[in-house]
Parts: sequence; C-alpha cells; structure tokens
Amino acid sequence: MIKKIILFLFIFILVLSFSVTQGLFSQEEKEEQEKQVLEIELPKPMFVGTPRNIRTPNLEKITGKMRGPFYVPKGTELLSLEKPVTSSDMMPIIGELEYVTDGEKSGEAGYYVELGPGLQYVQIDLEASYNLHAILVWHYHSQARVYRDVVVMVSEDPDFISDVQTVFNNDHDNSAGLGMGRDKEYIETNEGNLIDPRGVKARYVRLYSRGNTSNDMNHYVEVEVYGIEVK
Amino acid sequence: MNRKVFAGLFLIILLLALFLRLPKLDLRPMHHDEANQAVKFGNLLEKGEYQYDRFDHHGPSLYYLTLPFAWVFSGKDFSALTEITLRLVPALFGAGLILLLLILKPHMSLKAILFSALLFSASPIMVFFSRFYIQEMLLAFFTLGFMASLWRSLRTQKPGWFLTAGSFAGFMFATKETSIIVLGSVLGSLLILKIFFPSESQTKNILEPLLSYNILYFLGAAFLFWLVFFSSFFHHMNGLWDSILSLGIYFKRAGGGGAHIHPWYYYLKMLCFSQYGSGPVWSEALVLVSALFGGAYSFTRNSKNKEDSAFIRFVFFYTLISTLIFSLIPYKTPWNIIPFYLGMLVLAGIGISFILDSCSRIWFKSTVLFLILMGTFHLGWQSWRANFKYYADPRNPYVYAHTSTDFLNLVQRIKDIAALWPEHKHMLIKVIADPHEMWPLPWYLRGFEKVGYWTETEKAGEIKGTPVLISSVDQTQKLAPLIQDQYQSEFYGLRHEVLLSIHIRLDLWNQFLENRR
Repeated sequence: MIKKIILFLFIFILVLSFSVTQGLFSQEEKEEQEKQVLEIELPKPMFVGTPRNIRTPNLEKITGKMRGPFYVPKGTELLSLEKPVTSSDMMPIIGELEYVTDGEKSGEAGYYVELGPGLQYVQIDLEASYNLHAILVWHYHSQARVYRDVVVMVSEDPDFISDVQTVFNNDHDNSAGLGMGRDKEYIETNEGNLIDPRGVKARYVRLYSRGNTSNDMNHYVEVEVYGIEVK
Repeated sequence: MNRKVFAGLFLIILLLALFLRLPKLDLRPMHHDEANQAVKFGNLLEKGEYQYDRFDHHGPSLYYLTLPFAWVFSGKDFSALTEITLRLVPALFGAGLILLLLILKPHMSLKAILFSALLFSASPIMVFFSRFYIQEMLLAFFTLGFMASLWRSLRTQKPGWFLTAGSFAGFMFATKETSIIVLGSVLGSLLILKIFFPSESQTKNILEPLLSYNILYFLGAAFLFWLVFFSSFFHHMNGLWDSILSLGIYFKRAGGGGAHIHPWYYYLKMLCFSQYGSGPVWSEALVLVSALFGGAYSFTRNSKNKEDSAFIRFVFFYTLISTLIFSLIPYKTPWNIIPFYLGMLVLAGIGISFILDSCSRIWFKSTVLFLILMGTFHLGWQSWRANFKYYADPRNPYVYAHTSTDFLNLVQRIKDIAALWPEHKHMLIKVIADPHEMWPLPWYLRGFEKVGYWTETEKAGEIKGTPVLISSVDQTQKLAPLIQDQYQSEFYGLRHEVLLSIHIRLDLWNQFLENRR
C-alpha cells in the first residue's frame, strides 16, 4: 500500500512539475512574442565638398577662456631660466636644447626645438634643490595639436633612478611604459600647460612626450619651473 | 629613330609610370573627397543604385568605371572594398595617358613623343593625382584622347576618328562638369587657328569638317555616352536634365570659391616653386620652360620641321586659353591644374626635341640631353618624395586639406574597442561633428553596422551608455557634462589643425587595458 502511495505521489509530482514548467515556458514564449527588437535608425553621414585647406598658424585659444589665477607661496620665483638642458635626443632635428629655458615663448619658427620621433624627454637641471610650486610647458602652440603621453617627473637624482615623483601623467594607456596616468590630454595653446607639483622637493625636472596629433616628432618652445629655495 | 628602339624606350617609360603609380596605393589615408566618392560608389556596388547629384560628386563615369575593378578585386561587398582597388582606377588611367600619345604619331616626332611620355610618367602632379580616387585623372585621360582624336579627325576626315573624338567628349562630360572649360578652350584654339592663320594650308580649312555630315558621328557618339551615363543606364532619367542644370551651379561655385579662393598665380607658382615651413623645395619648372620652347617652335618657319606645326599651335593655344581660364577662376584646388597641365606636358616634349635638334655640335647636344635627363630624374625623385614620404604632409604642395596619418590611429582604436564588444561590428558608435569634420570616417567605419552621424550633441539622443562616441572639438565641450567621468577621452588629428575626440565607455576602456597587459 505504502509503495503504491509513494508511486502515486511520485507520478503526481512529476506531472505537476511538467505542467508548471510547461506553463512557465509558454509564459516566457508569450512574453518574448510580445517583445520586439528595437530597431534604431541612425542618421547617415552628409556629403559635403572639399574642406578648407589650412596652412596659416592658428593662434586662437581653443577654450576661448583665460586660465584663472593660480596661487603659489610668497617668495616663489622662476628657477629654470637659462638653466642647463639635456635630452634623450642630444642632436635635435630643428633648433637647440637651450631654447627650452631661454625665456622665448613665441610660437613662430625659430623658437622651438624639435626632437626625434617616439618617446623623448628633456631634462632641466635647476642646479640646486627647491620646493617646486608650478611647472609651465609650451610644446608647440602655433597650431591646434595634442601631444601624446606627456609625463613630468621630478627628482633629486639626475638619472631618475631613485627618489622620482611624477607630477603629471596623461599616458592613460601606459603606451610610454612609465606607468598609467589619470591626467587629461589637452590642446596646445599660447597659455601653456600649468602643472601643480604641490611643493615637492627636487633639483631635476624631466618632461616626456611621444609625438603629437600632427606628426611623430616632439617639440618644446619653453618650460618654466617655479619654486622656493629649500631652507 | 629606329622603330624598335622607339618601342623599347616607350615600354621602359610606361613601366616607369606604373612603377611610380602602383606601389603602396593604400599608404596615404583617404582624403575627405576620396571617401565621399568611395561611399557613393559603395551604394552603386551593393545596391546597384546611382543617381547623378548636380550639386556634388561630379560625373558618373568614375563610379561605373570602378565597378569592374571592384568586382574583380573585392566582390560586391562594400566593406571588403579597399583603397588599393579604388585607387587602381586613376592609377591605370594615369599610366594609360602615356599610351594615348601614340595617337599623335603622325603629328609629333618620335623623339618628342618619347620626351612627352617621360615627363607624363615622372611629373609629381601627374603621379600624385594618379594615386587619388577622384575624377581628375580620368578627365585628363579623356581630354588628351579627345584632343588627339579630334585633330586626327580634322586632318583625315575619317568617320572612325569622329566617332572616337565624340566618345572621348562624351566621357569627358560624364566625368566632370569642368570639362566644359576644356571643350571651350579646344574650340577657342581652333577659332584662333582659323582667324589668325587663314593663309596657311594646314589651318585654312580647319573648321570645315565640323560643318560636314561627319559631325553627326561626333555628336552621336557624345550624345550616346551622355545619355547612358547621366540616366544611370536609363534608370534615372532626371539625371539628364540635372547634368544641364549642374553647369549653372558649378559656374556660381567657380565665381564664389568660398574656402578655396586663391590668387590668379596659384597654379603657376605651384609649378615654378613651392616651399612650406621647413619642408623641401618643389618645382616642375622644367616642364614649364620646355613647354614655352615647344610653343615657340610652332611659330618657327623651318622646312625641316618634323612636327605638325599646326597641331603644336592647336595644343599651344588650348594650353594658353585653359591656363588663363583656370587661373582667373577664384576657386582653385591643386588637382584643377591637370586639364591645362597636360597641354604643357605635350608641348614640353616637343620643346625638348626642338632644343636638342637646335644643338649642332655633338658635345653641346650631349650636355643638354644630360641636363634634361637630370631634370627629369629630379621630377621622378620629387614624385617619390610626394607619394612615399610627404604623402599626407602639409609641406607637400599637392597635399590639400588631407587626412592626417594620426587619423588611422583613431580608426585602429575603434577597431580595438569593437573587438571587445560581444557583437563586434554591431557596437553602437555615435559621431557628432560638422560634415567637414566627419569625413573620411564613413569610409573607415563602413564595416560597422550601427554608426550614426549627427551635427549637434542635442540631436544625438541618449548619450549615456553609448560604447563609443566621436566628436569634433566644439561638440566635445558640449559632451563633457553628459559623459562626466564615465568615459576615457582621447584626441586624434583629423587634418592639419583639425582634431577629433574619441570617448570610450570606462568599462570597455578598462577591459581594453586589461587585455593589453
């Protein structure tokens, strides 16, 4: 008798499970039938004639707004003027390495140094240790372009082996191999790029880049380093 | 000159032309105009649809003549089409121009034909635009064919030549609207010969064949090609009327010029001397000077003349009139030099032949020949430089609003991100930019199924969640508050001084970085 009851219950559960599953599936099918793939029609590109050929330098600011005031401790002064410059490319294609710290910031030809393609750096020796409060970089501002993998490091070590601190890094995919950075890419303007080193102590400043949106070369019009002598 | 020697030298020149035109046709990124033409051709390839647009894109011949190349090399799938297949069309027409010089054998000495062929094959302008998917090299081919066969028809009065000349004229008009200037210049040149040289036997009755029944062969052939091409093979008859209306539109555009206004000496300066910034010096002055000698030769009275002086005058006046017209039109682009420059190249060959014949002493003749060959070598070297080194560099005078090589890095980035998307080529891409800052993206994104193009951020619908956004600099500023920190943004160069931004959704970006490790 017990065996028959167990067998009956087993068959009952089996049939019930089958019915419920069937019901659920048919419910899903019904729901699926009620849905449809949303077809989004995307606009096609418009055809338009030959664009303007630009050959003249563009000195206009991209943002259209001046940079706001930047506050530094009292006594901060320009440290980099006419300080020695070395580079990963000691034989620049155009110009001289001295241009980097000569105080001339004009965007015209004859005021910038062009380093070779790929990852290159320039290094400024401040000739003493300072607390750094601002670094300004002008790569090339006579046309709208963006320099890739701009990484600025400071150190007390001229070989940048020990005691290295990165104060700016916009290499967001680590393509330069110096570590991934979170700073943003920017379009070169005559205002230059202002970096806040937050008072870090250093004697040497090294600036990397890896080509730009116009060509594979690396350029510097001027670099200015501001700070206060370490007491 | 021995015929076998001529044939051998001619073949070598033809091979040189192919050597400069065919390698690495995909090296240069697609220009905005090339991409426009390619996408329009894609519609014909995939759907068999083509309608003449009287406002843009020029005539239909380029598209229809590309079809067989595409069928052979890429099939009927637009996404499988390559730059090489497309640019093969102008490259072969550019080299084919040289073969057309053989039609002129009765009117030019073999030596003059060889030097003309050499200059055609090495000229930087001719090589550069033979590797450019626009109508210009086809127009040059049909123009030279038209001029050569027209002259043959006028001199021989054989119906076959009238048919040939009419066919070339029909193809010219079906290629580009500016062919009207070329046809007008040819007619002007014939009128000058008739009016100012009435006493000469060669030109006295120059226009008479045009008034005979033979003209019907000419007009019939030209009409047939016009009818077939502009009606899209009888599928769009409105194209016929539009082809007439287009002349008014292009006339207005030529007068206005817009962003393409240049001074009257733009083309002549380009031929003589160009240098931009720290870039190299470019010059095709050898052709210009030799062409002047060729023109002068047509006015010399020498019984030993091996050339048909009336033909040379015909080419000279055609070149003069068309140079004047194209120079006076404010609208100028580098490729518009070609219709009159080909006249200069024919004259230059004759001029060089004339200079060499004028040298009586062998040592002097050898020195002049050496200098001319060195000059031609210099042209070939400039061609190599223009096409394989400075191919997209704004310091190259033939590079005009060209797409930057950095743009290809943007395309690669999109492909890398799409590879991570589950449905790969079904990834949604929204492009928000003015049409002038949009091309050639539609060509490079032709393999993606879900790409939308908007000119304003406000019209682009839901931004949040879109895997990849591409925007011009002004639209990037509008996008910034919408995407906040949810996207990784990068800049890429589109053209000289024109940038584009790509914004990649952070989860995809992180996945991309993870995969690179």
